[in-house]
Amino acid sequence: MTDFLGGTAHLFGDPVGIVIFLAGLVGGLLFGAIPGVNMLTLGAVILPFTAYMSATHAIMLYAVIYVSGVYGGAVTAILFNIPGSPENAPTAFDGYPMTQQGRSGKAIGAAVVCSSVGGTASALLMMIATPRIADWAVRAFGPQEIFALVFFGLSVAAAVGAGSIWKGWLSVLLGLLLATVGTDPAGGLPRFAFDSYYLLAGIHFIPLILGFFAVSEVFVQGHKIAAGLHLPPKIGVDFPTWREFWRLKFAALRSVVLGFFAGIMPGIGATLAAFLSYNEAVRWSRHPERFGKGELEGVVASETANNAATGAAMIPLLALGLPGGALTAMMMGAFQIHGMDPGPLVFMTAHDLVWVTFAAMFFANVSIILLGFIETKTVVHLLRIPFRILAPAILLLATIGAYALRNLLVDVWVMFLAGIAGYFLRRTGYSVAGIVLGLILGKIGEGAFVKSMQIMHYNFLGFFERPIAAALILLGLATIVVNVVKPSRVARQAAE
Amino acid sequence: MNRFGKQLLLVPAGIFGMSLMTSLPAAEMMKKPGDFPQRPITLIVPYGAGGGSDQLSRAMASAVEKVVGTGIQVVNKPGGGGRAAIPDFMAAPADGYTVMEHIDDAATLYASGKIKQNPAKDWMPLAIAQVTFSQIYIRPDDKRFNDWDSFVKYAKANPGKVTIANVGNVGAMERVNMLFLEKELGFKTQQISFDKPAERYAALIGGHVDALFEQPGDVRKFLEADKMKPILTLLKDRPSAFANVPSMKDIGVKFEPLLRFRGFYVRSGVPKDRAKYLEWAFHEAFKSADFQAFNKKKYMHLIDSYRDTAGAKRMIDNAVKTYKKVYKEIGLTK
Repeated sequence: MTDFLGGTAHLFGDPVGIVIFLAGLVGGLLFGAIPGVNMLTLGAVILPFTAYMSATHAIMLYAVIYVSGVYGGAVTAILFNIPGSPENAPTAFDGYPMTQQGRSGKAIGAAVVCSSVGGTASALLMMIATPRIADWAVRAFGPQEIFALVFFGLSVAAAVGAGSIWKGWLSVLLGLLLATVGTDPAGGLPRFAFDSYYLLAGIHFIPLILGFFAVSEVFVQGHKIAAGLHLPPKIGVDFPTWREFWRLKFAALRSVVLGFFAGIMPGIGATLAAFLSYNEAVRWSRHPERFGKGELEGVVASETANNAATGAAMIPLLALGLPGGALTAMMMGAFQIHGMDPGPLVFMTAHDLVWVTFAAMFFANVSIILLGFIETKTVVHLLRIPFRILAPAILLLATIGAYALRNLLVDVWVMFLAGIAGYFLRRTGYSVAGIVLGLILGKIGEGAFVKSMQIMHYNFLGFFERPIAAALILLGLATIVVNVVKPSRVARQAAE
Repeated sequence: MNRFGKQLLLVPAGIFGMSLMTSLPAAEMMKKPGDFPQRPITLIVPYGAGGGSDQLSRAMASAVEKVVGTGIQVVNKPGGGGRAAIPDFMAAPADGYTVMEHIDDAATLYASGKIKQNPAKDWMPLAIAQVTFSQIYIRPDDKRFNDWDSFVKYAKANPGKVTIANVGNVGAMERVNMLFLEKELGFKTQQISFDKPAERYAALIGGHVDALFEQPGDVRKFLEADKMKPILTLLKDRPSAFANVPSMKDIGVKFEPLLRFRGFYVRSGVPKDRAKYLEWAFHEAFKSADFQAFNKKKYMHLIDSYRDTAGAKRMIDNAVKTYKKVYKEIGLTK
């Protein structure tokens, strides 16, 4: 506690520190919100300038950008079906349908509050958790547990947004198939690459999301305009009510826990946190069929978890020197510019820095509520722009976003192909969200699976010698059985 | 004399460790060929942000910027084990405005036929800026083995059971070195590739694998924090910084260990005067105090880390020849 107060005093007792804090907050929000650029772009641009700041300011700046950047992309995901950053992709699954139903204010309001709650809870946990947690997480979660976690997540993916459970499974399996394109994770051999170096890089889920959601939406709306059926979305500036929030308290709590643990694990991070949390929301819900069609809980799960992952991601970075994602890797760069290396000693050698950073992350999360409240009342009016003007802007931003990801042209092609495919898939009851889930979880899952098999010397039963992995795999299998049996039983009852 | 030359003079020559600085008086500014470069240069990094190649490229970019006076834009194009960036590099005009970083994997990929471009012929190396050796690390508190001898003994008693994390795929430097080592000493391990550095290091520290094959500059902080312990240096003689760790001579193996090297390339069609100018600029940047400090932190001062264009070509040709021979031996290629 005294450490935290000390850090706070340090942070706000220094005018330069306050200016940097505010700049990071607004910068992260803007870069997170504009598709095509994201917090990584901002992070890369400012990295050379951090050499002129003190180490404390530099690290604190990155931490604040991380917090506000993860939230920032939610707004465009909800309003235009374009996730500003990968972490916000699952937010679009339900956020955009809500906008179409004229509930954009509620969706953004929930995103704001949940980002803030998730992030603040995570910042508190981060401060309480000693480096011990990092040690424990690294020991307890090996490739076997990561595979089991992904399997567990995939077992409900079929329930998201599809016309029937079988169409859902076909969508997920198509995603898993797409995940195999590129270089295999075991031996680096090309698969389905057709001798193209570009395809060796694999199909990334961001261009797929931009295509399935943003581009195909332009086609869908264009179709409606041509057929004279287009209705401009109603604008909702209503904030969610207390009752609505209270109903979702368990969902939020579950998402905080999930997001936090996903954030701690190196290589998982905020993006997977959002996806896994979304899947859990579906699993635990009494109405899984409502997801993907405008369920508030979907927005809550995704936004709570991705912000909860931010605080957690700092734990392996600071305690072990293991960055879990690209932004934390840049933070390492900022440390190194100042001749420091994060690691077990940093809590002793750079005590002030650590606590100023923790305090800054805490207050950045708190500030999101205020900024977000203003945003809810203002940004939704962007929907007043006629769609015929909005459409080219969406296509342009999506194209930039797809290219900016890895600076590879293949991503732009993937996006447009996915856009065309998405137009037809969505009309026929297949789930584009399921395909995206299959792709992102398939990549991580396969990598973890081959590593596990090598570690266990190709003995599949090895998974069941590890309690966490065994529990997750069994629960996943149970979910699949229940999901398959339930609809057919319902159908049989209906027939009788 | 310009500002840059003065800076160079201020730097104590001892820092460099290499012979290349000692005979240099003050660095002369080379005349720019025509107006080159008059706009920013793009530096393509075929790997992701935060890794060894990315760190080197950013350090080199800021040093080269100071020499040539225009900006260098670092662009990461990761994917396909360093291959996804190549088509864009080859598609860019050969005007010297596009430079690509690549590691020894370019030579191994060419040797195994996985890429068609010969890095020494189709590309023109401007400089190799890092040459480094590998080590094998274990957890310091491992109860089963605590040095190289006990490690090999354990591996022989449990053939194929000891797991080693590395970054390399089949045929890469890591795998070939291990293959030689295992062949000469008669033991067998299970190699597991982790492409993300953080996962690789966490796998060792967290106890999911038994050992790690890595270069010391990348794991320096773990060594200093006593989270990892080197048990073998893959170099003929012991380098000064690791005087307590056995090297190849100590354990009585004869093969010449393969080194990791990272360099910078332009396409071979770049006008000669521009290529010469860039080669000079990268050398000047390499010698700058900031870059030397960076390289020293990565243990790159322990062996000669710089090659000019001619030296780099020789190094790549040698690597390609060696790997081709190895691949035939192990049946990877015909």
